[in-house]
Amino acid sequence: MNRRGFLQLLGATGAAALTCSCNRIGSVVGTLSSPVSLVRFPEKTEMILLTDRPPQLETPLHYFRQDLTPNEAFFVRWHLEGVPTSVDLRTFRLNVSGHVRQPLQLSVDDLRSQFESISIIAVNQCSGNSRSFFEPRVPGGQWKHGAVGNAKWTGVSLRSILDRAQVKSGAVDVSFNGLDAPPLPSVSDFVKALSIDHARDGEVMIAYAMNDQPLPMLNGFPLRLVVPGWYGTYWVKALSDVTVLPRAFSNFWTDKAYRIPNGPNGTESPKHLAKDTVPINRFNVRSIFVRPDPDEILHPGMPIEIEGIAFDSGYGIRRVEVSTDGGATWADARLDPEIGKYSWRRWRTYWTPGNHGLYRLMARATNAAGDTQSNEQWNRSGFMWNVIQQVDVKVG
Amino acid sequence: MTSKTKSVVLSLGLAALVAGCGRPSNISKEADHGIAGAKMESMLDSKGDSPVHTIAMPHDESVFPPGPGRDEFVTACVVCHSPRYITMQPRFSRTTWLGEVQKMKDVYGAHISDEQALRITDYLISINGKAGTGHKGTYGE
Repeated sequence: MNRRGFLQLLGATGAAALTCSCNRIGSVVGTLSSPVSLVRFPEKTEMILLTDRPPQLETPLHYFRQDLTPNEAFFVRWHLEGVPTSVDLRTFRLNVSGHVRQPLQLSVDDLRSQFESISIIAVNQCSGNSRSFFEPRVPGGQWKHGAVGNAKWTGVSLRSILDRAQVKSGAVDVSFNGLDAPPLPSVSDFVKALSIDHARDGEVMIAYAMNDQPLPMLNGFPLRLVVPGWYGTYWVKALSDVTVLPRAFSNFWTDKAYRIPNGPNGTESPKHLAKDTVPINRFNVRSIFVRPDPDEILHPGMPIEIEGIAFDSGYGIRRVEVSTDGGATWADARLDPEIGKYSWRRWRTYWTPGNHGLYRLMARATNAAGDTQSNEQWNRSGFMWNVIQQVDVKVG
Repeated sequence: MTSKTKSVVLSLGLAALVAGCGRPSNISKEADHGIAGAKMESMLDSKGDSPVHTIAMPHDESVFPPGPGRDEFVTACVVCHSPRYITMQPRFSRTTWLGEVQKMKDVYGAHISDEQALRITDYLISINGKAGTGHKGTYGE
């Protein structure tokens, strides 16, 4: 390696580290064309940096070779500059109020000692996961496929908390606010809502543990709303306020943000933007290649195991087909055992490339409802990407 | 020393330097500190030894290359977000960047005049722009 190469390497891996201010995370502008930069945030392992403030961190793909995504590698996405960095469990309370007979102020101790605990394995995926693959490109967090993770969530069902608060008749929505705060009074606080029926379905839960450990602060310590099968925007982090409303909830984050075209698969044409939009909601069905790695070297006649994950909003993955010839022929991959209807399902198949050359791998998942993936999709916000993935690999 | 050997030595040297700052170069290693090894009880019990849980966010030293509208950008934008929110984007057209700046002003209440919005757009174009037209973005993305 020549000196220039070494300096480039330094630049790519964070020259700031050399000055040994350990909490610094590298120079900002000037990295437009540099390779992926990995950073380590508190309680997190090295992750792909999208933005530092507020933080957006993507999970490196190799972590998806496990059923459950380690807490320290689970993706991070905050909206507002005021990310909570300290929680005192002696004073922290979950406030349940609004259209209820018995408002509650519950400590984490109360939640753990006074309510039955439940656990559910569920995928959490950012609405904008894979946004960088939309063409034409759209503004927003330029995620690749790593704004998703699968975890075992443990906590209390929201229904049991609402039952204790005694919801009055005529309740319509339930809103959820966390400890994060806007940097300016003009910025709308990040609050999301679910319908009362959804909130009481017995599956929506308030989690105090993730993979049998407390949540990392950047993933919502001490409490996080878990909305199985729904996009991450509803999974409010550092949850502090649950408010029952006798009317439909309305704010910027619901009325203007996180909306999709009201049509099949949230798709619209760049030339004719949809006028009718609805709040984003359940996951569509999708699959993601986990192996081969993009830079993995393959050899003619040498079998390799192609591996991936597939998930949907809870119907269950029934089939994953893989093509190694750009979609001309397809063969079923083997599905790992199902470990929960909201979990992802891992799949694998062996492939022995015959000759040297370039190959296009594709994977297509189908769920129990018969929903599958297509070749085209676009919307102005870059949400719900589930186009059949194409991975080009070189053999020899 | 062959160039390959040099490269290995330099890489190891770099790894050591980085590791010295708490950033191991081997990303397949799981984090060896923080919450992963913590016991549920000690972390979630308000009567335990450490009822206050605190993290220190890393501080990023932002660098702003020269360009038209740089002062306006530094004054108005960085209060709410770091410049990576610009540099992580693809190179967008003036239409797209102006739309983003207007969104910051009209929707999120950034304290900027219409004239400053144009200057800030000039800066975004100069550091991460392209010719041609494009789409305005939306919200919450």
